[in-house]
Amino acid sequence: MANLVAVDNKNHRTLQIDIRKLALHGAKLNMIPVVLSEFSSAATQYPLAITKDGETGEFVCIALLGFETGENLFWSNGEWQGLYLPLHIRRQPFFVGNPITHHKVQSDNIDHIVCVDSESPAITSEGGMNLFDERGLDSDYFQQTKACLAELLSGEAESKRLIENLQAMDLLQSLSLKITFKNQTSTRLNGLYTVNKEALAKLVDEQILQLHKLGLLAAIQILSNSLGQVQTLIDLKNNRLEH
Amino acid sequence: MNESAENKKNNETLVKTVVVVGGGIAGWLTAGRLAAKHKANTEKGLKVILVESPTIPAIGVGEGTWPTMRSTLIALGISETDFIRECDASFKQGAKFAKWVDGNEGDFYYHPLVLPQGYGQAEVAAHWLARQGQEGVGSFSHEVCFQEAICEQGLAPKTIRTAEFSDVANYAYHLDSGKFAVFLQKHCTNKLGVTHILDDVTAINTAENNDIASVSTNNNKDICGDLFVDCTGFSSLLLGKHYQVPFKSCSDVLFIDTALAVQVPYDNEDSPIASHTISTGQEAGWIWDIGLQHRRGVGYVYSSKYSTEEQARAVLADYVGDNISSLPIRKIPIVSGYRETFWKNNCVAVGLSAGFLEPLEASALVMVELAAQMISEQLPQSRGIMNVVAKRFNETTHYRWQRIIDFLKLHYVLSKRNEPFWVDNRAKETIPESLQDLMDLWEYRSPADCDFTSNNEVFPAASYQYVLYGMGFKSDYSHAPYILDDIDFADYQFSKNKKLIDTAVSTLPTNRELLNKIKTFGFSTI
Repeated sequence: MANLVAVDNKNHRTLQIDIRKLALHGAKLNMIPVVLSEFSSAATQYPLAITKDGETGEFVCIALLGFETGENLFWSNGEWQGLYLPLHIRRQPFFVGNPITHHKVQSDNIDHIVCVDSESPAITSEGGMNLFDERGLDSDYFQQTKACLAELLSGEAESKRLIENLQAMDLLQSLSLKITFKNQTSTRLNGLYTVNKEALAKLVDEQILQLHKLGLLAAIQILSNSLGQVQTLIDLKNNRLEH
Repeated sequence: MNESAENKKNNETLVKTVVVVGGGIAGWLTAGRLAAKHKANTEKGLKVILVESPTIPAIGVGEGTWPTMRSTLIALGISETDFIRECDASFKQGAKFAKWVDGNEGDFYYHPLVLPQGYGQAEVAAHWLARQGQEGVGSFSHEVCFQEAICEQGLAPKTIRTAEFSDVANYAYHLDSGKFAVFLQKHCTNKLGVTHILDDVTAINTAENNDIASVSTNNNKDICGDLFVDCTGFSSLLLGKHYQVPFKSCSDVLFIDTALAVQVPYDNEDSPIASHTISTGQEAGWIWDIGLQHRRGVGYVYSSKYSTEEQARAVLADYVGDNISSLPIRKIPIVSGYRETFWKNNCVAVGLSAGFLEPLEASALVMVELAAQMISEQLPQSRGIMNVVAKRFNETTHYRWQRIIDFLKLHYVLSKRNEPFWVDNRAKETIPESLQDLMDLWEYRSPADCDFTSNNEVFPAASYQYVLYGMGFKSDYSHAPYILDDIDFADYQFSKNKKLIDTAVSTLPTNRELLNKIKTFGFSTI
C-alpha cells in the first residue's frame, strides 16, 4: 500500500533512492500503464492493449507483461529483463498528487506537488541517489525523475484523447485470446481491448484526417501491430515452463 | 356491391399512422418500440402520435422489471448509464420471498434470475431433493444458484468494468416509474420521432366498419389514425368504454384487491440498497419492498375480505417502522383480471387498460414490453390483414395472462400459513385446472421445459422449480431411482455452484457502490 507524502528539501534532504530497486515496483505486475509517447519504445517487446480500470471501468492503455495476475515474464533473477523500462517504473517511487488526501490525482493545477511513496522498497539511507544537493536544490537525478512525471502527466491527457476518439469512432473491440503453451496447459486472456482493424479501414477521409491531426494515427497503428508481441510473451512463458 | 366495394377499399388501406392514447410507461414503451422499428424519424417511416391528457396523472405502478427490460432498452436505443442515472434505477436480481411458507422468522426462499446450475443437462432438482436435509445441504435456491448469495450480501450483478447491458449474474431493474415515463417521453420525442400531443380526448369517432376513425380533443383537431393503442390505464377508454369489451375478473383465484403504497427514504446515503425485491407474507396478503437509489418503494397488498384498512395500515406501519407517521400512504384498488379481447377492430390495449394483477412477480411491465414488441414486430401493413394479426395477438396475450395467474397462484397454494386468507387460498375450487394438472405431474418429477410448450411462455420451468422447492414441495422419485445414478455429474454441479459463489462474492461490489460508480463514470458500450 502506497503511503504518499509531499517531498520537500528539508524533510527529504538525506533521502536516497536505490535506482536498482525501482523495478521491484513492477516485479509482480502482469500489465503496466503506458502513455502514447512511449508506445513505440514499449512495442519493441511488449504487446500493447487497452483494459478497463478496476475502480472506474474507464479504458486505460497498458503493456502486457504476463498471462495471469502477478506474473511479469520480463522479471527474472531479481531484475527487469526488458529492453525498455516503462515510465510508470522509472517514475517510482514518486507521484504527482495531493498529499492531504493521499490520492494520486490528475490535477489541472500548474503547481503540481511531487509526493514520494514512503513505503517504497527503493528508499534507502546510503548508496542511493540523492534528491537534493548540498544547497537544497534538485539533484540531476531528481530533475530527471520530475521530467518522467511531467511526461506521464501530459501522456495521460493524450491517452485520454486516444480513448475518446477510439470510442467515438467505434474503433474498439474486445480481445479474447486462448493460448496453449508447450506443456499443453492453456490460458484465456479476457478483459482486453484493441483496435478494430476492419472498422479502422472503413473510416471516412475526415475521420482519418482528424486522427492524424491529433497525432493519434501512428499510435493507433502501433497499438494494433504490437499484438504480434504476444508471441514474445508466449516464448518467455514456454521457456519458464521448461526450466 | 356497394358494401363489398367499401370493404375492399378498407382492406387496401395501409397502416401509416398509429395513435397511442395515454402517456404512461405503457404508452411510451409502445410508441417507442413502434417508432424505433418503423423509423418514425424518417420521411418514409410510420407516423406515431401519442396523445396524452395533461390532467390525468399516471398511476405509476410497476417499479420492478424483468431482465427483458434490457432488450427493450436496447431496442429503443437507450444508454443504460443514462437510464440508471435518470430513472433512479437500481439492479434487481430476482425476488426473496419471506414468511410465505409458515410465517416464522427465517422462513425465506429465493426466486433468482439465473437458471439452476446444470439446468437442462440433468435432473439437478432430483439430486437436491435426495440430499435435502443432509448436513451441510442448504435450500434449493442456495445450492443450485450462486445468485442467492450475491443478493444476501447486497452485491451488484456486475462491476463497473462490465459493459452496459452485459452481466456477471442475470439482472433486471427497480425503477422510479414516474421518472421512467418522463425519460421515455424525452427519448421518444427527441430521438425516435414520436409526435407528442398534450390534450384531453373528448370523443371517439367511428367509421362505417366500426373501426375508430379518429379521436377528438379539446384544443387540437380530430386526430386520425389507422391503428389506435389504448394505454389509458384502468379507465380503458377505447377498449373498455368505447368498445365495451368485458373485463374478466380472476378474483376467485387471486384474492388481493387493495394496495397501500408508501415511499420510504433511506436512513442515510450509505444505507445498503437491496438488489432484489423483498416480498414478505402478512396475515391477509404480502408486502413488497423495492430499493431504488434514493428511496424504497414499499406497499402492502391485501384482500379487503380478510383485513380492514385499519388493520392493513397497522401491518404496513409495523413493517416500515416509526417514520411511517410522516409519510403519505396511497391507497390503490386492485381489480385482478384482464379484458376478454385485447385487440378489437383497429384498437389494441396495452398496460392497465388490458389487465392487471398483484405485482407478485412484476408482471405489469413485462406484459407491456411483450405487447409492445409484438405490435411493432407484427404491425399489419394494411387494414385487410389486421384481423389476422389481432387474432394471433389475442390468443397469445390470453395465454400469457393465464400462465401468469397460474404462476402467481402457485405461491399461495404451497403456503402452510394458517390465517383464513391463506387457508382459503388453498381451497381446491380456487385453483385453476391448468395449474392443478401440472402440480399433479410434479408429484413425480420436477418441472421441465416439456411442460411449457408455447414459444410465448412467460415463466420458464426453472421458475416453477424455484417456487416449488423453495416452498417445501416434494417430487417423489422413488419410482425411478435410476434418475439419481449420475451422481458425479450432480456433485460437480453442486461444487461448481459453491465455486461460483466464492468468485462472485469476492469480486462484485455492493449494489450501492456500483450505482455510485455509474453516476460518476458510467458503463462503456463494450
